[in-house]
Amino acid sequence: MEQITNTQEDSLLDFLDGKLEGHGLQQLKSELETSAILRERLEELRIVHQALVRNRLESPSSSFVDRVMAGLRRKPASVYASPKNGILLILGVLVAAGLLITMVSAGFFDSFNGIISMEQIAPTRKYLQWAAPSIPINAKLIMKTLVGLNLLIAFIVLDRTVLRPYFQRRQSQGS
Amino acid sequence: MSLKEENELIDQVLAGRQEAFASLVDHYKSYAFTIALKILNNRPEAEEAAQDGFIKAFRNLKSFSRNARFSTWLYRIVFNTAISYKRRHRHVMASIDHHDRSGEEDSSLERNDKQEFIAQAMEKLNETDRLAIQLYYIREFSLEEVSEMMGQNMNTLKVRVHRARQRLADVLQKILKEEALTL
Repeated sequence: MEQITNTQEDSLLDFLDGKLEGHGLQQLKSELETSAILRERLEELRIVHQALVRNRLESPSSSFVDRVMAGLRRKPASVYASPKNGILLILGVLVAAGLLITMVSAGFFDSFNGIISMEQIAPTRKYLQWAAPSIPINAKLIMKTLVGLNLLIAFIVLDRTVLRPYFQRRQSQGS
Repeated sequence: MSLKEENELIDQVLAGRQEAFASLVDHYKSYAFTIALKILNNRPEAEEAAQDGFIKAFRNLKSFSRNARFSTWLYRIVFNTAISYKRRHRHVMASIDHHDRSGEEDSSLERNDKQEFIAQAMEKLNETDRLAIQLYYIREFSLEEVSEMMGQNMNTLKVRVHRARQRLADVLQKILKEEALTL
C-alpha cells in the first residue's frame, strides 16, 4: 500500500502555509496528480489548517488600559499573603486562642497567682542596698491578654490576606 | 508603532512619565490579551493575567535590554504570568476558540461540526503542542516571536507545529470515521 513520507507531509504543510515554491511546488503538484492518498491527506490537513487560521487577535475590554494604569499605582502584593496561607494562619491562631480560653475557664491558671519577691533572689540580696521590689503575678490575666492578642492577630491576618485582596479585586473588576 | 517611537515612550516612562506607559499598553493590549487567553481560555482571567503582565513589565522596565524588541520581552512576561495563573487555578485548557468563526469558506463539512471535531482533536494534543499551534496561527505573531515567548528554538518550534498539525489531521480522520459509523 502507498505510504506518505515525512518529506511529503512537510511539503503539504509548507504548501498550505504558502511557503512552498519553485521546484518543490512543481514536484508536489505532480505527485498530487498521481497519488489519491496524497490528495486525501492534503484535504485532511487543509481542514485542520482552515480551522486554525480563524485564530485571530482578541480584544480585551474597553477599560483594559485604565485598569493597568490604576494597577501601576497600587503597591505590589506580598508574596506570602495568599488567601490559603492566611486562612491556615488564622486557623492556627484561633486554635491557640481556643486552647487558652479552655484552660483559663477550667481554672488551670488559678493556682499560679502570687507575688514574686526580688528579696528572695540571692544575688539581689547580696548586691542591693535597698529593699528589692515585689512583682505581683496574675497568670489568668496574662493568659486573657494573650487570648486578646491572638484574636487581634487573627483579625489583622484576615484583613490582609482575605478581605482586602477580595475587595480590591471586586473594585478593580467593577471599575 | 515604530521602534523609534517605542524607545521614546520607554525613555519617557523611565524618566518618570508614567502616562507614557498607557500608549504602550494600548498598542500591545490585544497581543498580550490573546496570549493570555490562549493559555487560560477564560476571558476575565486572561484580562487579569495580561494586566498583571503589563504591571510586571512596568516595574521591571529598567531591566529591559534594548538589544531585544520590547514586544518580545513583554510577550514573554505575559506568557509566564498566564502560565503561573494557569498553574494556580489548574484550568483545563480548551483547544480552540469557539467564538470567532468568521472569514473562511467551507469545503465538505458543516462549519460548526468542523470546529467541534477540531476542538475534540485539539484536546488530544499535549498542552505545549496545543499552545504552539494556536500562537503560530495568529498571523500577527511571527514564528520568531512565538519561539521567544515559549522559550524554544525556532526550528524545534516549527517541527513541533508541523507534527502537531499532522497529529490533528490523524485524530480528525479517526473522529470522522467514528462519526460516519454512528450515522
